[in-house]
Amino acid sequence: MGSLKSLECEYPIIDSDFQNFCASHGIFSVEDILIHDLYMLVAFAEQQSTSERLKQGITQILSIIDGQHQPWLNGMELLEDAQQNKQVLSTGCEGIDMLLQGGLCVGHLTELVGPSSSGKTQICLKVASGVATRYMGGVVFIDTGNSFSPYALHISSIRSQILSLKSQILCHSVFDIFAMLDVVHQLEYSLRSQVQTGADQVRLLIVDSISSLITPILGGSGSHGRALMISAGFLLKKLAHEHNLAVVVTNHMVGGEGGILKPALGESWKSIPHVRLLLSRDPGSSICHMSILKHSYMASGRAARFMI
Amino acid sequence: MELARLPISASQRGSSSPQATLLSLPLSLSFNPYLKISDNEALEILRVVSQGSRLDKPDGSHAIVNGAQTAWDMLHEEESLKCITTSCVDLDDILGGGIKCKEVTEIGGVPGIGKTQLGIQLAVNVQIPVNYGGLGGKAIYIDTEGSFMLERALQIAEACIEDMSGNSDFLQKDFQSCQVKAQPKDFLQNIFYFRVCSYTEQIAMINYLDKFISEHKDVNVVIIDSVTFHFRQDFDDLALRTRLLSGMALKLMKLAKKFSLAVVLLNQVTTKHTEGSFQLTLALGDSWSHSCTNRVILYWNGDERYAYIDKSPSLRSASAPYSVTGKGIRTATSKCKRIKIM
Repeated sequence: MGSLKSLECEYPIIDSDFQNFCASHGIFSVEDILIHDLYMLVAFAEQQSTSERLKQGITQILSIIDGQHQPWLNGMELLEDAQQNKQVLSTGCEGIDMLLQGGLCVGHLTELVGPSSSGKTQICLKVASGVATRYMGGVVFIDTGNSFSPYALHISSIRSQILSLKSQILCHSVFDIFAMLDVVHQLEYSLRSQVQTGADQVRLLIVDSISSLITPILGGSGSHGRALMISAGFLLKKLAHEHNLAVVVTNHMVGGEGGILKPALGESWKSIPHVRLLLSRDPGSSICHMSILKHSYMASGRAARFMI
Repeated sequence: MELARLPISASQRGSSSPQATLLSLPLSLSFNPYLKISDNEALEILRVVSQGSRLDKPDGSHAIVNGAQTAWDMLHEEESLKCITTSCVDLDDILGGGIKCKEVTEIGGVPGIGKTQLGIQLAVNVQIPVNYGGLGGKAIYIDTEGSFMLERALQIAEACIEDMSGNSDFLQKDFQSCQVKAQPKDFLQNIFYFRVCSYTEQIAMINYLDKFISEHKDVNVVIIDSVTFHFRQDFDDLALRTRLLSGMALKLMKLAKKFSLAVVLLNQVTTKHTEGSFQLTLALGDSWSHSCTNRVILYWNGDERYAYIDKSPSLRSASAPYSVTGKGIRTATSKCKRIKIM
C-alpha cells in the first residue's frame, strides 16, 4: 500500500516530522503500522513536543486503512442484494438449465472441466449467444485458443436476432496470463466508471480456457505461478460479485493416479470456483454428460445428459 | 497497481514484496546495489511498468476493452478468410474448404500414413496463385525429424503446376493473364526450410518466428514436422515438459492470430492403456491435446487411408478417405461401384 513518503502529497498531515518519528520506531510504510503496537506508539507520541500533530497523523493513517476494506453488510442487506441483482441466467440449453435449477448464477464463478473435445467451447459459445439474445446483455469472451467462431454462433442463434446479437458479443484473444489480467482490469475499470443500463450492460464473462494460460507458469521453482493463478481467480470472483456478472471459465483434465483423469491446475485451484461442472462426451456422438462436482447450494453428484 | 501483475521476473523484482506498488518502485533501479541489474534492464522494467499503468484504463470511446472485436466484425472477417486446399476433395469437404488460416491444426497418425506427405502438399498448395483459388503465399517448414525429401517436394510441385494448367484450360480463362509461368523451382524457392535438432532449438525457433514473419509478410502457413519428436525421448522432468509445451502452444496460437496464417502441427501416436484395452492416442499427453484449435487424426481402415476430425469448434465430426499418389495427396478413388453410405 505504499510508504509513508508517498502519502505525503495527498495527506499533508503526514509530513517529514511525522515520518521521522515513525522511522525512529522502525515504521516506514502503512503495513508496518498495522503490525505495530498502536498504544505504545501513541504513548511515545504524547511524550513528543508536537504530540497533537503526531496523534492526528496516526488517526489519518488509521482512517486510510479503514477505507481499504469493503463495508460491513448484514444478512438482510445481502438477501436484498441477492434478490435484486443476483438473478440466474439461462444457458440456452434445457438440459443444463434443469441440472442447475435455472442456469448460471450471477455473481458466481462457474468452471467447466472436461477432457479434450467434450464440448466445453461449444457450451461456452451456446451460453454466449443465449445470454446475448435472451437478456440483450453484453458478453465478453476471452479466447486463448483461436476457437471463437462466429460461424458456430450463427448456427445456434435465432436468425431474426442475429444483427443485435453480433454487436454485443466482444471477443478478445489473449495468449498469456498478464494480458488476461490486463483485460479483466480494463473491464473492471469501465464497469466502475461508465454507467451502463439496459441493452449494453455486460452480463457474462467467459474465459476459454484459463488452464492454457496458467499451465506454463505453474510449478517449477518459486510459487509466483500459483500466486498469479489465485489472484486471477480472486479477481474474477470479485468482478462477478461487485458488478453482477456471471463468469465462466474452462479447464482441461490431466492424468492422475491410476490413470484416472482429474481436473488440471491442482489442489489450490479447486476451492476457487463456486460451481464446478464435469463434462464428458462419448466419442462420435453429440450427447454430453454433465455432472456437478461442486456447487454452493446444490448437492454434488447430480448429473444430466443432453445434446449439443 | 501491483508489481505482481507485471511480466517482470522474480529476481528483478528484488526485495520488494508482491504487494508493492508503482509508487514505491525505486526510480533509480540501476543504482540499487541489491538488484544487480544492468541499465538496459532497468529501462526495460520502467517501460513495462509505465505501459502497464496506462493499460489499466481503456483509451477513450465506448470500447469496454481495448483490442476486442465484436462477433459481427469477426463474422465478416471469417467469411473472407481463405483456406489452404489439401488437393483431396473429400478432405477439403470435411475441413470446410481446407486448412483454415488463423487457426492451429494438429494432424496426427501412425507412421507411414502420410503426415509428411500432407505437410509437403500443404507447403506447395499455399503457393497456388490467387487466380486459381489459392493464397499465393509462402510457407515455413520446420523439420525436426529430417523427413523432408527435396525430390518429393519437386515431384509434388510439378504435379501441382500440371493440375493448374489443366484447370485453366478447362475453365477457359483468358490465356494471357492466367498463363502459368511458374516453374517447380519457384515453388521450392518459396518454402523456407529450418532444421532443428533439439528441443531448445525448437523453442528458440518458434520465438524467432515472430521476427521472421514480420519481415516476410507473405508467409501464409507454418508447418512443424513433427512437433513431438524432441519432447518424447529423454525428458526427465515431466512438469518442465508440460510447461514448455503449453508455453509453445500459446506462442503458436499468437502467431496464427497475429499474422493470419495457418499453423499445422504434425504429431505422432502412442498407446494408452485405458480400462484394460490399448488405445492409440496422440503423443505428448492430455494437456497437449488442448493446445490446438482443430485436430485431425489419420488412420488405416482396411486398405484405405482415412482422416477423422477429432476436435473442432466449428466443424462436425466426420471421416473422409484420401490417397497418397505419385502426385501427392489426392482424392481416393473407390474401387467398388456401389455408393457407400457413411
